[in-house]
Amino acid sequence: MSTIGTGYDLSASQFSPDGRVFQIDYASKAVERSGTVIGIRGKDCVVLAVEKIIADQLYEPDAASRIFTIEKNIGMAIAGLMADGNYVADIARQEAANFRQQFERTIPLKYLCDRVSGYLHAYTLYSAVRPFGLSVLLASWDEADGAQLYKIEPSGTSFGYYACASGKAKQQAKTEMEKFKFADMNTDELVRSGGKIIYQVHDELKDKDFRFEMGIVGKETNGVHLINDASWSQLAIEAGEAAKNADDSENEI
Amino acid sequence: MFRNQYDSDVTVWSPQGRLHQVEYAIAAVKLGTATVGLKNNDYAVLVALCKPPSELSASQRKIIAIDEHLGISIAGITADARVLSKYLRSECLSYKHSYGSTYPVPRLITTLGNKMQTTTQRYDRRPYGVGLLLAGYDEKGPHIYKVEPSANYFNCKAMTIGSRSQSARTYLERHLATFNTCTKDDIICHGIHAIRSTLPNDELSKDDGASQLMITVAIVGKDQPFKVLTDEENLFYLDMAKKRGATMLSKSGRNDDDDDTPPPIAEDKPEPAGPRDPQVAVATMERP
Amino acid sequence: MMNNAFAQPMWLNGPAPGQFYNFMGGNTQAELPRELTTAGPFGTKHSTAAITTGSSVVGIRYAGGVLVAADTLVSYGSLARYQNIDRVFKINDKILLGGSGDFADIQSIKRSIDQKMIEDQCCNDGVVMKPKSLASWLTRVLYNRRSRMNPLYIDVVVAGVDEAGVPFLGNVDLRGRAYDDYVVATGFGRHLALPLVRERKPKDRDFTFEEASNLIRECMKVLYYRDTRSIPQYTVGICSASDCSVKGPFKVEENWTFAETVEGY
Repeated sequence: MSTIGTGYDLSASQFSPDGRVFQIDYASKAVERSGTVIGIRGKDCVVLAVEKIIADQLYEPDAASRIFTIEKNIGMAIAGLMADGNYVADIARQEAANFRQQFERTIPLKYLCDRVSGYLHAYTLYSAVRPFGLSVLLASWDEADGAQLYKIEPSGTSFGYYACASGKAKQQAKTEMEKFKFADMNTDELVRSGGKIIYQVHDELKDKDFRFEMGIVGKETNGVHLINDASWSQLAIEAGEAAKNADDSENEI
Repeated sequence: MFRNQYDSDVTVWSPQGRLHQVEYAIAAVKLGTATVGLKNNDYAVLVALCKPPSELSASQRKIIAIDEHLGISIAGITADARVLSKYLRSECLSYKHSYGSTYPVPRLITTLGNKMQTTTQRYDRRPYGVGLLLAGYDEKGPHIYKVEPSANYFNCKAMTIGSRSQSARTYLERHLATFNTCTKDDIICHGIHAIRSTLPNDELSKDDGASQLMITVAIVGKDQPFKVLTDEENLFYLDMAKKRGATMLSKSGRNDDDDDTPPPIAEDKPEPAGPRDPQVAVATMERP
Repeated sequence: MMNNAFAQPMWLNGPAPGQFYNFMGGNTQAELPRELTTAGPFGTKHSTAAITTGSSVVGIRYAGGVLVAADTLVSYGSLARYQNIDRVFKINDKILLGGSGDFADIQSIKRSIDQKMIEDQCCNDGVVMKPKSLASWLTRVLYNRRSRMNPLYIDVVVAGVDEAGVPFLGNVDLRGRAYDDYVVATGFGRHLALPLVRERKPKDRDFTFEEASNLIRECMKVLYYRDTRSIPQYTVGICSASDCSVKGPFKVEENWTFAETVEGY
């Protein structure tokens, strides 16, 4: 941001002369400081994968998990502030429950995405609140709509994706992801490439250890969103380790 | 005036994507005296240092019982902790009323986190200036959670917060591997050793008698409702910790020959169910 | 329009004795749903009878599990209106629910329970609802509704096993009365099935699975013969540590040859 401190950047309800709301840009900076998160959409499956940087060796492995289950078949992953993420997960669950109460069916991801992005957007309008420091990835699979993947930014804008990334290594992850053709991938391939990307974009020099976390929903999980399911995670982690070792040996030569 | 122009309100993001007001609230935790939480396979233990602010006063209450399966230890603004503990107590009570069972610890923490989050996002609130260590026991075993004013919460193997807690952390990290398998007595002693290391050296040196170290200890676990230990029990464990000190510090994996020394009182007897007010280790201020 | 003729209190939501101070704009209490609030200026009319009804549910506890059975009829008054409706539901891997009484109310309460199961799943902590907890929750809800003079017209059987595999079998009715036992029954079953099962109960031990399933078969037969709001088709829910499912529908073994000898009606 070249125009830091021009005085127009202290409130979410204030435009700068060149038409920006700086508070939203600053909130995005919080997202960029967070560990990388990716979502990829295959033929009959969506995978959410997270590079969870281990901040403290006294934490249990499952501390500060960044993947959530919102509905039976809907997963959510976040990059940004943990506390905001937990809160928005709760909001998303309430929206899903509200939809189910009214229509007796699971909320289609398109509508959930609309509702949650509307919620995030409301926090960009007033000086009394701050925008969420969050990038939210939503993933679902069902028979009718197949695999679905959306991403919501702190500004409240959202798009559907074949593959998307947020956090520290967003750019590298995008570069990596462009090498794949996810749309035709089966579940195994998708899970493996999810592992590969996260392990490849992890910066060992800057960050210490990290834990690979994965959410998966698809035909092969019977339309149930699973978090860190033992067998799928193992598949991803093995692929990731292998890719990292291959990279390392290349560098040595 | 202000350290920078972005730290006046909790609703202002800094250009680096930081919330200075929240970070300052976290600094409030470091003003409180240290407290340690740790667990083995069956028990979760809280140990807190209670240093009276003056010789004429009693020390602050550091450990607050929430429910029979749960209690918290605090560092920071005690008054803020009272609000949070009231919330936790009423949540536990209402859960027990509805379901006839104790509130699963991770779920309770999630609701607490979401309550605290709103204070980090609104102009008309300030974050709670208190850090919590929460010790609980449910069907998944013992838990230690750390809750920060930022409304972040972390599931921990062991944790310490408060002033000079870095030295306690060093102790915990060094012995982390042994905690899971050690006995109930051991885990309490480890807690006492960890909290001892947060004392400044000059105070440690004048601490000739074990009674000089003012601590509150609480334990919860398998067939053990949350309980704040009495003065006698504290002395007993302080004594035990002192005796074991040398061996425990030298080798982390100790032999179990002299474990499970029966404490002076039948301390395993489960007390009548229901949350009780904790007994503070030192005399509380009483109305004349 | 707000009436400004009277001065407003100086400080709305201000300090009140014995309370935490809540200021304006903070967390406001969620409004109660309309059916739970008290009567309006013209009173409130509550439902006073069940309309579409299911008849008996019978549950028997055996060593290591529970059986719950109900026929598949939902009546509209005396009309056998819906003849293929399951009234025994699997709630999760540890809980069965059998419902009798107003079927709309049963469906409504089941929706609420299903939402709770989704919440369990969302928490992702491996903790699931136990039958005892569900029975407790139902008791609170039903008693609360009756206290507001607006009961749910249902009589439900909650059955299942807890985390240690210990079976639980309980009954909650529209007034919030609740009890648990080795046999529970609702509707006509309370009169016809309960004594039949109690008669066969060995004093020194639980039923075996065979005994329990034979008793269920017999109870459903007796209920079909003697309860006009029943049909000879029923489903049975089985819940043990290893399995939780609803089986059937099964047919009652009918035999009407004795009918020729019945006289005097």
